[in-house]
Amino acid sequence: MTETLFIQHFGKEEARKISYYVEKMEGYTALKKAISLSQDEIIGEVKKANLRGRGGAGFPAGIKWGFIPKQSSKPKYFVCNADESEPGTFKDRDLMRYTPHLVLEGIIIGGYAIGSNTGYIYIRGEYTREAGLLQAAIDEAYEKGYLGKNILGSPFSFDITVHRGAGAYICGEETGLLNSLEGKRGEPRVKPPFPAQAGAFGGPTIVNNVETIASIPFIIRRGGDWFAKLGKLEKSGGTRLFGVSGHVKKPGLYELGSGSVTIRELIYDYCGGILDDRKLKAVIPGGSSAPVLTADEIDVVLDIEPLMKVGSMLGSAGIIVVNETFCVVKLLARMIKFYAHESCGQCTPCREGCQWMENIIERIEHGGGEERDLNLLLDIADNINGKTLCALGDAAAGPVMSFVKKFRSDFEQHIRGKKCPNA
Amino acid sequence: MPKCIINGKEAEFKPGENIIEVAKRVGIYIPYYCYHPALSIVAQCRMCAVEIEKMPKLQTACSTPATEGMIIKTTTERVKKNQRAIMEFLLLNHPLDCPICDKSGECDLQDFSFQYGDSFMRSSEERRTYVDLDIGGVIKKNMNRCIHCTRCLRFAEGVAEIHEMVAVKRGNNIEISTIDDRPLETDYAGNYADICPTGSLSIKDFRFKKRVWYLKKTPTVCEGCSRGCNMEVHEERGTVYRCVPRVNLEINKYWLCDEGRFNFKYVNSENRLTEPSIKSAQKFDFCDWSTAIEKSREFFQGKKTTVLVGSDLTQEEIKLILDFIPKQISVLSFFHYGTPGVLFSKDDGPADRILKMKSKTSNLYGIEKLGLTGFEKYSPQTGAFLVFRGGRASVPDLGGIPTVGIGVFQKTIIENFKIILPGTTFVEKDGTIFNFEGVEQKFKRAILPPGQSKNLSEIFMLWAHLGAARRAA
Repeated sequence: MTETLFIQHFGKEEARKISYYVEKMEGYTALKKAISLSQDEIIGEVKKANLRGRGGAGFPAGIKWGFIPKQSSKPKYFVCNADESEPGTFKDRDLMRYTPHLVLEGIIIGGYAIGSNTGYIYIRGEYTREAGLLQAAIDEAYEKGYLGKNILGSPFSFDITVHRGAGAYICGEETGLLNSLEGKRGEPRVKPPFPAQAGAFGGPTIVNNVETIASIPFIIRRGGDWFAKLGKLEKSGGTRLFGVSGHVKKPGLYELGSGSVTIRELIYDYCGGILDDRKLKAVIPGGSSAPVLTADEIDVVLDIEPLMKVGSMLGSAGIIVVNETFCVVKLLARMIKFYAHESCGQCTPCREGCQWMENIIERIEHGGGEERDLNLLLDIADNINGKTLCALGDAAAGPVMSFVKKFRSDFEQHIRGKKCPNA
Repeated sequence: MPKCIINGKEAEFKPGENIIEVAKRVGIYIPYYCYHPALSIVAQCRMCAVEIEKMPKLQTACSTPATEGMIIKTTTERVKKNQRAIMEFLLLNHPLDCPICDKSGECDLQDFSFQYGDSFMRSSEERRTYVDLDIGGVIKKNMNRCIHCTRCLRFAEGVAEIHEMVAVKRGNNIEISTIDDRPLETDYAGNYADICPTGSLSIKDFRFKKRVWYLKKTPTVCEGCSRGCNMEVHEERGTVYRCVPRVNLEINKYWLCDEGRFNFKYVNSENRLTEPSIKSAQKFDFCDWSTAIEKSREFFQGKKTTVLVGSDLTQEEIKLILDFIPKQISVLSFFHYGTPGVLFSKDDGPADRILKMKSKTSNLYGIEKLGLTGFEKYSPQTGAFLVFRGGRASVPDLGGIPTVGIGVFQKTIIENFKIILPGTTFVEKDGTIFNFEGVEQKFKRAILPPGQSKNLSEIFMLWAHLGAARRAA
């Protein structure tokens, strides 16, 4: 079994103290090592580690850091994206709750690597408790000299501010997050320019997910090569936290080497199988935006490229398992209601299309559907998919297309019977 | 110059220029709603998405700069499908009330719907509706028609430099509003209606007055201040219905202030004197032109006269006055007048950060070129005043000395005026003016003078002709 980095500390109240972090987790030794290295050496190490972004897009973190210009007339920023809002995802919460110092150390190293003196943690508004815990950890770190002026006697100074969001899914999109951080409406920006060129307050900015950042101290301490080997696939290094929810016997967080298990293994070997030993109906493998897989499609390795090959995505690795007792039309209706509600409303296909899809699916669910609605749904989804300003449109279109295509008979039953067959 | 290829046509571009502008120059029009060349780029409407070789997704032409060798296609099936889709999305909640909408006929949503949309509607859902709100004296908001392009928001922030328009709520319920529903405060509110691609923001003054396709459009220059903004007069059968800005990147860009936009109101005003008039007691009696001119000649006999020329007149008119009047009456001196406190061009300057100038007449700089100085005080020998006015200049205090007015006057001007010879406004004549930067601009007549009003040259011709006839008799 692969070595785990985080999960052994989860559930321990004492783990969030700096004393625990320093004694039991070699806390802040990576920072000490980092400030003796050059910026390029750190970025090189992160590149070697094959650390892919854990927020959903899976972009290699080292390459992203490398985009930051060395010279900049404006201050640079390092932002931790803790707006964990993808339905089915709950990994960052435990990282912040039990290992906040790991996150802080990662941010400080990241800031040092890109030449920034200011870090932000943008945390979703609902995580009130975690915001408080992070702040307590920040206070401890200032007291010990890991934050503030001249960290550990070096010329490097760094500050971290916790910024609480106000409860918008779209503020997890990195440019929407930056707008919100600046006090503007949380609406994604036109890219380019990418945040690495002009991000927060116009300065070069890195936005990384909590889990991505929490991996940094391990990479610095034990080397990129060691980290890369934790993963079982060539391009995916490290371990991943899989959040399994829904109809399994043992839902929760599982930490496994990247690409080391298939969905079937995760569900049946680790999570104890389907709840009440029912038949499996569907698996959503990467947070609710990921296109759904049927029970026949779960022999796929749970990682970025293998899932992409079967037309889905790993996303934030929040796995939602659905058994035969739950109506997939109702499930899709609930999901699209979420996306229609969370659309920021600036671009046409997402603003108008998500609401339209919600109306149609709700109608079908309650028996008011028509035969032509299914093809209409697919066409609307196609008109949204890939044509919006940010990925929210795709996130809504993907589930609609995959649900209607893969579970078409369920939808047809609703339409022809004029009610939900399970109701 | 670097080149790209659009629909097989080679197009040169300046580095940084976006595809919409490059395509426009080679005669290829890419439809758009949220883009406006003078506003920040947000790529929200997605209407301008085009295919670019080597890029898997459609790219918005507004936010994508052309690059060397880029191969762009604007009429492929994928592009057309996207345009149809966007039109369908935008019309899902649009009321399609074109028959009662003032924008109809000049509406991007309507035009593009014909050109790029489908004639078939696939939605059977209930439409989203909003309550209409009054947002100040100039603009009426109809949120149901809005397509959320946010041009108005970006105009307020970026051009009018005022934070008054906002988007509230989110997603499908997003609403464009003023802050706390307060009335608009900017002096440039009319532009909101101009840039609005639908009938969502319309000018109250123009609402339900005229279908736009009946309007005849004549390019002209605003006479509201010394900037000389370019605009169009829209009229039908001698009635001016509105003025709209005309693009001139060197003078007013795309904009017009409300003062200039609504300045035309006096042209068709009932209060305007359009008949030759002679004062008796406290009112004006109308008469024919020969009587009025006869009385004027008598009036000026034996009087030393100070002539005041409004700086709202054209170069041609001023030259005519300087040439003709000294031959007819005994002139003490010529002065120009126009704006209280702005006697000379050196007193002029910007009145705000956008367009407005302090001089409220259009030709202050031209009249100074012709050697006239600003009117400060008159000589004690003055026995009479002769005042020329174009319609905009504000007449100074004339100290109770009897006066004859030639030009555009209101019926309520009583004071010391004895005789009024009605002249023409800026929309009823051709002419040349100079703006504060010395730019020479010509404008054309849009309508015929109302009533008995006559051009200055005609008035002078009558004056000379009647004089000659009398001498002959």
